[in-house]
Amino acid sequence: MTKRLVQGNEAVLLGAIKAGASYFCGYPISPSSEILAQASRYAANHPEFRFLQAEDEIASANAILGASLAGAKSFTATSGPGFSLMQEAIGYGHKIGIPAVIVNVMRVGPATGMPTMPGQGDLNQTRYGSTGDYTSIVFYPSTVAECHEYTIHAFNAAEESQSPVIILSDAYLGHLNEVVDLDEINVPVVPRTMEPLASGSTRLFSGVATYPDGEPATADSDEFIRQYIESRDCRLKVAEKYAFHEYGWNKDSDTLVVVYGITRRIVQPLSPHFALFRPIRIWPTLDKELAEVAERYKKIIVIEGSDGQYANVIERMLLRRVERVPLLGGRMSLEAVYEGLDRIGLLPKELAAAGGPGSKAGSSGSKAGSPARVG
Amino acid sequence: MAVKDKLKTDLFPTIWCPGCGIGLIMQQLASVMDELDLNKMNTVLVTGIGCTGRMGAYMNFESVYTLHGRTLPIAEAIKTVRPELNVIVVAGDGDTASIGGNHLLHSIRRNPNITVLCNNNEIYGLTGGQAGPTTPQGTTTISSPAGAAYSPINLQGLVNTNPDAYYAKTTVYHQGAMRKAIKEAIQWPGFAFIDVASQCIENNGRRIGYSSAYEMLQGYKADYKPAPKGATRLEKNQIGIIKKEAEPAVGPAGSSQNNGDGQH
Repeated sequence: MTKRLVQGNEAVLLGAIKAGASYFCGYPISPSSEILAQASRYAANHPEFRFLQAEDEIASANAILGASLAGAKSFTATSGPGFSLMQEAIGYGHKIGIPAVIVNVMRVGPATGMPTMPGQGDLNQTRYGSTGDYTSIVFYPSTVAECHEYTIHAFNAAEESQSPVIILSDAYLGHLNEVVDLDEINVPVVPRTMEPLASGSTRLFSGVATYPDGEPATADSDEFIRQYIESRDCRLKVAEKYAFHEYGWNKDSDTLVVVYGITRRIVQPLSPHFALFRPIRIWPTLDKELAEVAERYKKIIVIEGSDGQYANVIERMLLRRVERVPLLGGRMSLEAVYEGLDRIGLLPKELAAAGGPGSKAGSSGSKAGSPARVG
Repeated sequence: MAVKDKLKTDLFPTIWCPGCGIGLIMQQLASVMDELDLNKMNTVLVTGIGCTGRMGAYMNFESVYTLHGRTLPIAEAIKTVRPELNVIVVAGDGDTASIGGNHLLHSIRRNPNITVLCNNNEIYGLTGGQAGPTTPQGTTTISSPAGAAYSPINLQGLVNTNPDAYYAKTTVYHQGAMRKAIKEAIQWPGFAFIDVASQCIENNGRRIGYSSAYEMLQGYKADYKPAPKGATRLEKNQIGIIKKEAEPAVGPAGSSQNNGDGQH
């Protein structure tokens, strides 16, 4: 009932607890480590909440799946390199159908990259990181309050879809402190949907293609396709209930900007000039919702912290050209946005005069922008 | 109850090759489970990838057929969430000691109250007979035409880095010793590891000069001898059990996954 300063990473952890999570396993990695540290502190005072700092992210991802099978709502938190190590387990969770939540607080990759700088380059990894075909449900909030809210939705979607659901965040959002009253954020919690281990059945939870009785189906294409379509359709149907997005700003503009996550905060000063579409459910893509909005605009600009990962997706989805403003190397700042818009000739004149790259107040020599400047 | 009630006999014959040692382990495990009244309500199996991993499919228990090498994190998490369950891991030597080696190191350190049955056939059998972490140095395999280059991993030494852990070495020929080890390991209040030498006739034995599984079993009979009473370390080709005689320490609630640093 009190407003206080809450950090994005903390809001995620407290959202998980509110959703009923009782098992966390993780490995330290910037910029997600506060979630691990705070989970350990929470566990120290709540014996029903189990915590393990594992030997690596491979163990973490597998452990949360084991915990979920045993009956606990479970989650882990990591960043790009750790998320890469989790990919095989994520595919395993999808194959079997295990609810769990994975938080990826993105930094700049590939490899060790820029560990404390914000990036948005893991979008494709959240969709295509594991081997084979599967259907990911992924949410990406933009505020500390949303970190809390969408973490609860992620646990709910995981239960309903019986699959690992991913919450994306980034180095800015994870470390952003905002004044919020978390008690005012209430999302109905979906209870466990899966019969826990040792309840009387003799199920085989197999990542290998098997028939329902456990016999190998490793050469039966029909059976494989049947199981795949069943799980895909189930997850797509569940995802429909979570079609979160934001459409607003100057809807009379002839240009639509598409932004997500922390970038939504950075581009706020563009609000008088452009219409805004912000997908919160990153995957499955909001095809219907975005297509409906996009047809009203002559131009579409995707501004994102990667070299066009989502722009490519939207271009293919809409079958029309979209403009790109990639914010690379952690330069996720308003200055970088203005420069990018200027480069493609779409920087509104008023903004160029007010401090864009063409003006004296421009910031070509500045360091990467801080979230305090994003309005 | 009877031993056969522990098995899904309607799925027999198994996929294992004629003469494979895995069935001898499964049969003895089922028999011990029957004696200790382990059933589908109080016991969960966690198996790896490889021939051995199929065992879970043939037993009347809930069974988690994990990714290659990932039995231990899953088994530990299950034990943490449900400390009342018996959690039994069955995996091959490649799964346990190579691709899952890092988890093995840390499970030994954390000492969860789980049982690991390692089917050690000294080869990657399912993939056709490549050298593995337990293949004796000099052995010719399809991936070591000039003989395996390195000495095998020291499983006993690894397990014994934690004095509270239980280690047994046996073979599928020595059924009495294997039965005793399985029973003790399930009852051991901490990490218990059974290293079972077991023949893979089709993808290893014939290439190294055995003409049949029977000959390989006779080889175990001839080669392996019980360790002298009171031995604190097993020598090469000795079967026996290395355990603390006093009650070992174990993490609260039968598990270690309850605090910030993973130690207890």
